[in-house]
Amino acid sequence: MLHEITLTVNGEQRTVAVKSHHTLLKVLREQLGITSPKIGCENGECGACTVLMNGKAVNSCLVLAVEADGAVIETVENLSKEGELHPLQQAFVEHNAIQCGFCTPGMIMSAKGLLDRNPHPTVDEVKEALAGNLCRCTGYIRIVDAVMDVAKKGDA
Amino acid sequence: MSDLQYKYIGKPADRVDALEKVTGAAKYVGDYYLPDMLYARALRSELPHARIKHLDTRPALNVPGVIAVITSEDFIDHGRFGFPVKDHFALAFEKVRYVGQAIAAVAAETPEAALNGVKAIICELEPLPGVFDMDHALDPDAPQVGFEREDHKHPNFLDMSPVYKGDPDEVLKDCPVVLHEEYRTVHQEHSYLETEGALAIPTSDGGVTVYCNNQSPFITKGNLVAVLGLDPIKVRVIQPHVGGSFGGKDDLNYLTACQVAALALKAKRPVRMTFSREESMIASYKRDAMHMRITLGADKDGTLRACKAIHTLDSGAYSSQSPFTAWRASIHAMGAYRYDAVKVEVTSVYTNNGFSGAFRGFGNTEACFGIESAIDELAEKLGMDPIDFRLKNCLRVGDVTPHGQKLTESVGLVECLETVRKLSDWDRKRAEYARQTSQDTRCGIGVAVLFHGTSLGAEGVDCATNTIEILPDYSVACASGLTDYGQGPRTVYTLITAEELGISPERVRILLADTDTAIDSGPTVASRSTILAGNAMRVAAQTLARTLNFAAADMLKCEPQRVMRIGEAYVGPNEEPVSWEKVVDHARSMGLVLSAHGKWSAPEIHWDHHKGTGTPYFGYHFAAQVAEVQVDLRIGKTQVLNIWAAHDTGKVIFPQGALGQVYGGITQGLGYALMEEAIYADGYLQSVNFDTYLIPTSMDVPDMTARFVETNFSPGPYGAKNIAEPAMVPTAPAIVNAIYHATGKRIRVLPADLERVALGKSLHKRGSPVSCKVGLKVK
Repeated sequence: MLHEITLTVNGEQRTVAVKSHHTLLKVLREQLGITSPKIGCENGECGACTVLMNGKAVNSCLVLAVEADGAVIETVENLSKEGELHPLQQAFVEHNAIQCGFCTPGMIMSAKGLLDRNPHPTVDEVKEALAGNLCRCTGYIRIVDAVMDVAKKGDA
Repeated sequence: MSDLQYKYIGKPADRVDALEKVTGAAKYVGDYYLPDMLYARALRSELPHARIKHLDTRPALNVPGVIAVITSEDFIDHGRFGFPVKDHFALAFEKVRYVGQAIAAVAAETPEAALNGVKAIICELEPLPGVFDMDHALDPDAPQVGFEREDHKHPNFLDMSPVYKGDPDEVLKDCPVVLHEEYRTVHQEHSYLETEGALAIPTSDGGVTVYCNNQSPFITKGNLVAVLGLDPIKVRVIQPHVGGSFGGKDDLNYLTACQVAALALKAKRPVRMTFSREESMIASYKRDAMHMRITLGADKDGTLRACKAIHTLDSGAYSSQSPFTAWRASIHAMGAYRYDAVKVEVTSVYTNNGFSGAFRGFGNTEACFGIESAIDELAEKLGMDPIDFRLKNCLRVGDVTPHGQKLTESVGLVECLETVRKLSDWDRKRAEYARQTSQDTRCGIGVAVLFHGTSLGAEGVDCATNTIEILPDYSVACASGLTDYGQGPRTVYTLITAEELGISPERVRILLADTDTAIDSGPTVASRSTILAGNAMRVAAQTLARTLNFAAADMLKCEPQRVMRIGEAYVGPNEEPVSWEKVVDHARSMGLVLSAHGKWSAPEIHWDHHKGTGTPYFGYHFAAQVAEVQVDLRIGKTQVLNIWAAHDTGKVIFPQGALGQVYGGITQGLGYALMEEAIYADGYLQSVNFDTYLIPTSMDVPDMTARFVETNFSPGPYGAKNIAEPAMVPTAPAIVNAIYHATGKRIRVLPADLERVALGKSLHKRGSPVSCKVGLKVK
């Protein structure tokens, strides 16, 4: 059965007809053409599909698209404005917090979710906020450094 | 070598792909949604060993949305392939040898229709008895997994790699201190965040273009040509961004590429297959499990005398890279030490436990755990400090290795050991932790060292060719057959090009790997990109630089050797600078060719596979790591507090990239040490997603301190060696040696999880086929 839902995705209102059992992740990627949320495990374990839903970091593979009706969704595509990187993106580049890059969009969105609600976290709070985002390449050190750097500068 | 002489080599730099990756613009194979594209899914075996009694794919074609279906009949010689042993098929032929092996593949309008098509296929499998214990794979009555052999050896025997020096049994008789112990490592899942995938697009000339997240696109191309019978010029393989690999995206992806290409040719439409995580874990190859039997002998003063290392490697259902893995394991099995006599024999065998292939460290990760545990135990027996014992016996410049190779340069092991000793405050902590009496939690500190042969070694032909070209907009485009799946070689090539041409790195673009634009340079494996393709890039850039210098001299009306550089500009004796663009324009007007190839071949070496002697590698990476742990004795929980790592990498070209490799490698080593175990129960993998296969998270990683010991390595570009694999190899034994220091309990079977640390053994758990059977039929 198809349901018509309306979402605000990266500042733009979008109306789509979705199947009951399709996830927000599937709809974002296949119907709205937004591919930065990645398919990593479809099980809520790896965080590669993390987006902000009404300002909160969620695994979009665990949200049914119909549950997101009326929600405000933000993905990493929305962070840089007019060629200017968001401070988190800039910090990820400068700290070399990236290797294969597959976890990067989700990682940045989890970090943004944290800094939006807690602009000055401790290292342990950063590690906890990112504990649901797996990265197999970097050992997390540089990622945590990048987030702390932004938090210290207070310009997130 | 002074850093002052370089502008970009060894200096801070950003990754060249960073911008695409932080903005979400980078496309991975699963991000391609083409008009008219079909989705593919494979029917995979639910039995570990069986004869295919009856296979009827016609019902799949009656499923709405299904467009094409293939079996092994759709390939030349049933798609038989494999290197070095041709024992695998693009789709199963006659038999299946492991749970998850692809039998048929379906292409359909939607993923759901493809899955329904798979479920409609009639496939009758007749179960065969399986081999699930590598130690019994060669029993006379063991079920036959492999093909009959021409030499009449056991069909489950794959290969044996020896190293021989003298007679260790004779020497051991004279040794007052002898240690004999057995060690075991388990299968490890690569856990790249992006699963396997390939997209095939049929071309108008009857050929096919394949996007595949593999490591080595030329090998994919070679397999496509062979099993599809296509003219090589009609087959193109492109590597988009790859979401991690660590050795894991080759053999299985060769099959995937062949399957989607055959489906695309049949359906005459683009076909993409991307794996669910369950499919990926069940079907993909793992790090082999190894059973190691080590005997060491020493004099009372701590001089190491003899080593025997008799190992068995579980290759699982197919050979994949196991003969090479076993060979690398054999070369490193005695560790980075001097001995009077050595006997190493590493035997690889077939079983029905999934299949094993390449994974970071490639045999040395396993072997290093064995030997570095044994060395620690022997130091304890001798009453010596573990670092002192290693320093007394470890390889130095001028030594001859047990293989018979004289080390003439770039052996920084002593400096690595001394560095981590100082950084970790080793001597104070060893003494302090030895006095602990708490029954609740205790700390410990342990060390492990590593040597790791650079590049392929005597495994095969070892050369690379890079290309370079100045484009109309004065940017410089380079191509390499050695590819970037996250490690960072594209940034390394950029820095080398900028250095040699005297231009800003922003001008340089390294193309994504594409068999139509790059030149086959062998596989992207064995941590060989920086040395091989780095050298090739340097040669190409130097060739182009000479051309431009010649043009500049013509323009500046002076001898080429009198041309100087200020920034990017060229300056002659009259001191009037001429811009890079003007020199390029002038070179063009002179009719000069502004492109170049650079080829570099590794020094020739030879290994005698029967005598077990020779020169296995043309150089070695050396390293020492120290781990500090806190163990909760009540529940067996180990928290790693610190890792100090010193790596003799030669000259570091891209420091941030190299550090990233060290941090990431240590983290994989930590997972291998404490939590990662891909358990096969009667051939069924017990963990099929990240809910039960646990890898380290941000909360598991310790503080890490890394130092590079930059001994000059004359064959390497600017004296560079490598880093990717060696970063993870010594971590697990360092952690387990630290656990011993904390608890007095020696863990000889990885991983050192709660049960093994608290109870000294793993509690028996009954296995189940359910996760695999369900995992292969969902999503």
